[in-house]
Amino acid sequence: MRKLIQALPLWFMLPAGICVAVFYVIPVLLTFVFSFTTMGADTGILGNRYVLSETALVRLRDTDLDPMLVQRLGEKAFIFDKAGLEALAGSAVSPATVREIERRLAGKVYRSEKRLFADLKRLKNRPRSFTERKTIARAVKRTVRDREFASARELRAALSELGIHPRKHELRTILDLTNTSWRWTLSNYRELVSSQFSGKILANTAFYVALTLVFNVGFALALALMTFYLPQGQAKFFRAVWLIPRISPSVIYVLLWKWFTYDSGFMSYFLGFVGVPAQNFLLEYPWTFVVIINGMVGASMGLIIFSSAMHAIPKPLLYASQVDGAYPMQQVLRIILPQLRWPILFITCYQTMSLLTSFEYILLTTAGGPGFYTTEVWALYAFHSALSNYFGNFRYGYGATLSVVLVIFGIALSLLYLRFFNFRKLVVDPPIEN
Amino acid sequence: MNARRAPWLLTMLLVMVSLPILILYTWLFVDSVSVSAPGSIWPKAFTLKNWRFLFETIEGHASIWRVTFNTLVFALCTVTVVIGTSVTAGYALSRLKFPFRAQFLGGVLILHAFPSISLIVAIFLMLRLLGLYDTLAGVILVKASLEIPFGIWVMKGFYDSVPWEIEMAGIQDGASRFQVWRRLILPQVQPAIAALAIFSFIAAWSEFILPLVLAPSSETQLLSVYLAGLLTDDYLSDYGLLKAVGLFYILPVMVFYLFTQDKLMNIYSGATKG
Repeated sequence: MRKLIQALPLWFMLPAGICVAVFYVIPVLLTFVFSFTTMGADTGILGNRYVLSETALVRLRDTDLDPMLVQRLGEKAFIFDKAGLEALAGSAVSPATVREIERRLAGKVYRSEKRLFADLKRLKNRPRSFTERKTIARAVKRTVRDREFASARELRAALSELGIHPRKHELRTILDLTNTSWRWTLSNYRELVSSQFSGKILANTAFYVALTLVFNVGFALALALMTFYLPQGQAKFFRAVWLIPRISPSVIYVLLWKWFTYDSGFMSYFLGFVGVPAQNFLLEYPWTFVVIINGMVGASMGLIIFSSAMHAIPKPLLYASQVDGAYPMQQVLRIILPQLRWPILFITCYQTMSLLTSFEYILLTTAGGPGFYTTEVWALYAFHSALSNYFGNFRYGYGATLSVVLVIFGIALSLLYLRFFNFRKLVVDPPIEN
Repeated sequence: MNARRAPWLLTMLLVMVSLPILILYTWLFVDSVSVSAPGSIWPKAFTLKNWRFLFETIEGHASIWRVTFNTLVFALCTVTVVIGTSVTAGYALSRLKFPFRAQFLGGVLILHAFPSISLIVAIFLMLRLLGLYDTLAGVILVKASLEIPFGIWVMKGFYDSVPWEIEMAGIQDGASRFQVWRRLILPQVQPAIAALAIFSFIAAWSEFILPLVLAPSSETQLLSVYLAGLLTDDYLSDYGLLKAVGLFYILPVMVFYLFTQDKLMNIYSGATKG
């Protein structure tokens, strides 16, 4: 019991420690590891995988392998062995036909569909329709083409089922050229530097972050100053209103903006009175709305921080300036803003980091479009490369490489925060143990 | 200056800039229960037909009740994991002495500031490796783990403000550190636990990217992904229906927000002030 109690810190830290280590710290490291691989949807994530794809067959033809062997690798066969007959019994083929096939064709192997169909027509209970013949063919069809094998043994077993028995050195060549597992590489980083898209994406990102930051921090500051001079009740109301976008799920917030800007939505309706034709404003002015949508969410955080910092300014300072005859504008410029230096710096850094790395609102708003990479930013590009694109060629390795840039940036800025907070003060030694 | 008129002008100005938000959320409610003439935005008649999704499944999409149930399970489990781990780790970091305590605290602080969403590719691959891809358990663990540094940070802050005298008195009376924590300190930080629970519930309920990437199939779908699916469905530009689903989805968040606004504001500012 004493021992258990002495280990109390361990037990208290362990659950959080395991979760954070496995799902937070290890992914940070893995991002770096994956960035040096060719991993993608076509290679799988785990070790070896063999696929006799069209490209693999073309490459095999160029080797010194026996051309007959290569041709047979790409072929299909119809085999009436035990497995084939079982599949047949489970299919929609009429039982009488199945029974006759079991009696007369058991053990037979056909290399072409034509010859199989010819023999099927000779049966007494022959299949009535072309569809039924096709069903039979499908049930007994065997091929290694385009199938995935998790190990060399599996591939060899499938080959011998087809009656293909390559010699040892032949098998080695086949395995070599059909292996689609990922490899270590530096090409992701090379591509990152040389790709024609990198520049465009980088420019987009800089544009987006700079503009949204100005909007976001500027708005937060203006709102905080305005609410500071309002009566308590009103100030509270406006702060609550501006917190709504932050508190509501991103999907709903963006849904509402889509309605606001679409061609028979709110904007089109009201601007119609002054002669602006109805249009989908989101698609016409994508950047404007990407910035506004993100900026309005971000403004609330600055608003709260700035407001509480303003209320922390010693009241006598403000009263004194009023007595001395300062206009509110002078009070703002000379007394309040200088006091807000640190909060402003903090919010600016914090927002820079979250704007650089979060892509949720852009994904929902324009998904990087309209058109080609119009509003695609770095974080969204990483997401698109690795996890979601129209072509389905998910490139995990390249996505990880793009993320590495963000991760390094995140670590650097997070370390900077350690200096912002007065860290020493936070780790006071507990008096009980001393 | 004319001190009387200034606030009026300010109020007007604030109403002007806040108008978009007020309009967006007013019409979220209005459009969900009304029909308007084409090309107009004013409601013409009251209707409940937008709420039909509660009784019938929208074609090509999962059942709303299934999705709601998933979301509830997801949010509640996330809250449980976050609270369970932060309450203990926060206490250890605030009050117990053990090796590398300062380093742990620094680590928590760094992770708290670190933009976790940039890890999405690695997390996706990791769940695939662990066989937790496309399971609710997987997303719950990931979401909770990403929230834990924040949770520990908040809890530590609250533990710090509990007077040491309480623990001293407990130890003097012969209680162990564990008993002191369980019997004396935990009741002191109950408001903090409630605030953190509400905060992580809202965060989990609203989460979009993680379930989108890590649990996309219809059995594990969450409300956010469901609604995003409706939104991108080209055949459905029926904003009445979309807004009804949206209102249904946002309801718990709004209820929490209306009743616990001050607490949430505290946690938002408290979390960043350190």
